[in-house]
Amino acid sequence: MKRFDYHVPQSIEEALNLFKSLGDAIYIAGGTDVMVNIKRKKISPKNLISLRNITALKVIEKGKELKIGSCVTHEQLLKDKYIEKYYTALHDAVRKLGSKQIRNVATIGGNICNAAPSADTACPLLVFDTKVLIRNEKGERKIPLHDFFLGPYSVSKDEGEIVTGFEITFLPPYSGSAYIKHSRREAMDLAIVSVATRLTLSPEVDIDFLKREAGEKTYSEFESRLLSYGITVKEARIAMGVVAPRPLRAKEAEDYLCGKRLTDEAIREASEIASSVAKPRDTLRGEAWYRREMVKVLTRRAILLSAKRAFD
Amino acid sequence: MSFNIIGKKIPKKDAPFKVTGQALYIDDVELPGMLYGKILYSKYPHARILHIDTSKAEKLPGVKAVITAKDFPPHFRIGFMKDNPPLKGTKVLSTRDEIAAVCAISPEIAEEALDLISVEYEVLQGIFDPLVAMREDAPILHEEVGSNILKLPWRLVCGDVEKAKKESAYVVEDTFTTQWVTHCCLATSGCVAYFDVNNNLTMYSNTQIPSLAQNEFLEALTALGLRNRRVRIIQVTIGGGFGSKLDTYPYEYIAILLALKTRKPVKIVFSRDEEFFATSPRQCTITKISQGCDRDGRLTFREVEMILDNGAYTSWGATTPSVMMMPISSLYRVPNVKYTATCVYTNNTYCQAMRGYGNPQATFAIESSLDHLAEESGIDPYDLRIINANEPGEITPQGFRVTTCGLKECIEEVAKRLNWKEKRGRGLKKRGVGIASLIHVGGGARVYKSDGCGTIIKMDDFGKVDVFTGASDIGQGADTVIAQIVAEELGVPVEDVNVIHNDTDICPWDVGVHASRTTFVAGNSALFAAKKIKKKLLEILSKLLEVPPEDVAIKNGIAFSKSDPQKSIPLARALRRIHFTTGGSMLMAEHFYDPQNENLNKEFRGNLSAAYAYGTHGVEVEVDTETGKVKILKYVAAHDVGRAINPLLLEGQIYGGVLQGIGYALSEKMIYDNGYLKNGNFLDYKILTVRDVPPVEIVIIETNEEAGPFGAKGIGEPGLVPTAPAIANAIYDAVGVRIRDLPITPEKVLKALKEKNKG
Ligand SMILES: Cc1cc2nc3c(=O)[nH]c(=O)nc-3n(C[C@H](O)[C@H](O)[C@H](O)COP(=O)(O)OP(=O)(O)OC[C@H]3O[C@@H](n4cnc5c(N)ncnc54)[C@H](O)[C@@H]3O)c2cc1C
Repeated sequence: MKRFDYHVPQSIEEALNLFKSLGDAIYIAGGTDVMVNIKRKKISPKNLISLRNITALKVIEKGKELKIGSCVTHEQLLKDKYIEKYYTALHDAVRKLGSKQIRNVATIGGNICNAAPSADTACPLLVFDTKVLIRNEKGERKIPLHDFFLGPYSVSKDEGEIVTGFEITFLPPYSGSAYIKHSRREAMDLAIVSVATRLTLSPEVDIDFLKREAGEKTYSEFESRLLSYGITVKEARIAMGVVAPRPLRAKEAEDYLCGKRLTDEAIREASEIASSVAKPRDTLRGEAWYRREMVKVLTRRAILLSAKRAFD
Repeated sequence: MSFNIIGKKIPKKDAPFKVTGQALYIDDVELPGMLYGKILYSKYPHARILHIDTSKAEKLPGVKAVITAKDFPPHFRIGFMKDNPPLKGTKVLSTRDEIAAVCAISPEIAEEALDLISVEYEVLQGIFDPLVAMREDAPILHEEVGSNILKLPWRLVCGDVEKAKKESAYVVEDTFTTQWVTHCCLATSGCVAYFDVNNNLTMYSNTQIPSLAQNEFLEALTALGLRNRRVRIIQVTIGGGFGSKLDTYPYEYIAILLALKTRKPVKIVFSRDEEFFATSPRQCTITKISQGCDRDGRLTFREVEMILDNGAYTSWGATTPSVMMMPISSLYRVPNVKYTATCVYTNNTYCQAMRGYGNPQATFAIESSLDHLAEESGIDPYDLRIINANEPGEITPQGFRVTTCGLKECIEEVAKRLNWKEKRGRGLKKRGVGIASLIHVGGGARVYKSDGCGTIIKMDDFGKVDVFTGASDIGQGADTVIAQIVAEELGVPVEDVNVIHNDTDICPWDVGVHASRTTFVAGNSALFAAKKIKKKLLEILSKLLEVPPEDVAIKNGIAFSKSDPQKSIPLARALRRIHFTTGGSMLMAEHFYDPQNENLNKEFRGNLSAAYAYGTHGVEVEVDTETGKVKILKYVAAHDVGRAINPLLLEGQIYGGVLQGIGYALSEKMIYDNGYLKNGNFLDYKILTVRDVPPVEIVIIETNEEAGPFGAKGIGEPGLVPTAPAIANAIYDAVGVRIRDLPITPEKVLKALKEKNKG
């Protein structure tokens, strides 16, 4: 391992200036990707600029929008009841991310900037139409997360730019989301494939009745009922992990579902479309045929779960 | 019998040291002037070495020595078949082949020096499949051997299999394959070697076989021209062994040579990468098995043909068929048995002992095939097992004399707890149940000429006891169990017994920690030594208390007269009295215990162990038929252990075994692609995490083995032996597909389900 100097700026401005003056430097948040890459000799920066003392990056703001600071840890997200209730897919994702030790230090900003095809928070953020907030010397810019991912481990930002956070607009009523990570182990594992979905429904039936049903019936009973009510899908988002060089949205499947009534048939068709959009490869961690097959299964399950959660 | 200390849940003696970081592992050893050794491995799985240039590495500041094959005597070889040169000079046969080594004043410099060594290769076509290696036209990997098939013809024939096959009412035949898995010791392999001015060698090591390693290093010193020297092995705290440290490896000889060259202590500790690719895994096998039974379900024969990928060199992995014979000949009563095994050289990694020593591979085939036979004959798998269960007093076809045997109780208990009758064969909600049993050596195993272990015991002036044992503790708890045995016998508190087990200068000989033998063999050795010292002690106490020796009892470190408890004396005072008098003495005793078991003869028969351990595992699974994922809902492990000396440690052994077994069954696999290990890290090598642990229920069956210490039999390995077939059988019960190739991944299950639905 090459030696490096470690800097701990106290503000975003200081960090930006440090980066400019040091030249050969890299930002480090939790370090759970950075340190692995240094040890594996994939990178050998002379300077590490730590973002962990910048308190402004560590907050979850619930104002007009939901704003998650880039240095918010996965454990912080996991414990946030508001996120659990309204942005459940994100909660699902951090629940099975790494281990407690990893979650205690690893950040959402690091997860997104590292841009692994398997990054667990990527798909949930995609289905919430998240925008990435980026700071440089000139000021702040904001781009859709969908445009931020360029390829494996590659994002649309200059090296010296700091991601300050993520902006998520509030979801309309009757929205529900889910993230399913298909992995070989329950912890400390990367997904073979993963799928996040978010539905916004417009129930034309008696909502109170539905809510009661949701509360009283077991999940499987409610699931079969749910599909017979003829609820219309107002908006659908489907994102898939490890099926392409970058986290991918299955826009064709979203479009198909949008405006349709939520039936078993429609869900199956959407899942088929998602699977056909996926372009998985054979790798050590999973074979392409299996990944494609799993996209189908997981998409269906995630849609059902999202629909149910829309009434939670 | 009632006990004070035996049967009590006493926490491991070494636990506080480990959890507080006080335990000294190999990585913690620092000696003055110590250098750090690193090894350059081959780039190719099969190649001729044309040229090695070490000049640049030698010139790097901080580098103290660089060695290659020419620094070893030309014909020096190591390993069970003496086919492995510690450094390879002319040809490499696998990607873990050692070509050169350096030592330097820091590990970083040593690492940098490796990059400066250039090696010119002529790449040769590799052979990665034992079936290909066995072909007539395959290139010969070891010219000196003359064949890719090892000259180790494993063959056991009992009765007349051909005849029995013809006469059987039902016969099944299947082929099963198993994968390479690795031990995943928390502490990696390593050693520190140094020579004193007289050229005597001290090795700090985490070996499992101090006495045998001592012998092998002495041979190496002789080969290096150092005759009649001493070798002292000091074992550090060993962070897991599981068989991986049952042999000596090239890195140890490399450290020795570097230490000799530099006259400095040299440390080599494996990185996690090295631990994955440069240690020897459990062998992968191809097993063809056929079994039959009569109309009533009585087994008539068992025929097994096995091919083992030996890899490039030979370690103990090649001898695992000697243990596979045990379940093949003796798990359930089967009168006619035929077993042959062929070990084949390939350009893959070479294999070693790993917990169970072949037994998991063999039992996977036997117990999966048995369920197939149950289906074929229409007999409930539970009934089939009960009908054929071994019984006490039996002599098996291979000549094992079964003393205690709780197999039937194990099967019954597991079935009861699984709710077998209710649950089996329903396939409700894609759930199913499966069982599988095991036999293993439980009273040592005579694989070397001696299966013995020595103990020296002394008592000090304060009533404390020091026990010097040959046994090794690799985390299994030998020190705790030995302390309990001695404390029980002597009537002293267990805290007063100090077990010393880590230094060949001090501790007597022992064949090593393997074959689930330590509690039985080292335990007996300690027990008999304790009996001897107790006899002396009672005689002395009888004089001091003025009562006959039979009337003296010791409890909690106090000696008293049984008939008149008023007459008493603290042990410490008694010991000082006899020490500090004219012509005084100190209390000491020794014992060398070698169990009454036999080497297998030329026909591979004989009573290998003084006692046999049995067990049955049962599992309920749920299969996700859309994803192929298998979820374990309930796991029951019943083991006949003779006696539980320490139920806490015993349960720990079984939990650990079951977890390792589930990994073997469902997720662990070393993925080799043309000789290169592709998943040598904990991310891609899927050892289970704590979050994957299913509920495990442990049932301890005590049969009180007369030959064992306080009735105990060995339990080190059995916990993982029948796990894979129990799970495979449960999957079959749940969804009707039988996976014959480990690990049972979701992909395999899903594929099988799709094929089943097509057909
Ligand atoms: C044992 C282990 C298990 C893991 N399990 C999982 C898992 O289950 N799922 C998963 O998705 N990942 C997993 N990871 C990967 C890793 O933990 C996550 O990607 C984590 O979120 C990274 O966050 P970090 O704060 O540690 O990032 P760091 O390592 O500090 O940084 C990662 C990258 O992002 C850049 N960066 C970080 N913050 C900013 C910022 N604010 N602005 C600009 N650039 C920035 C860094 O320069 C670097 O390039 C695992 C890692 C380990 C070691």
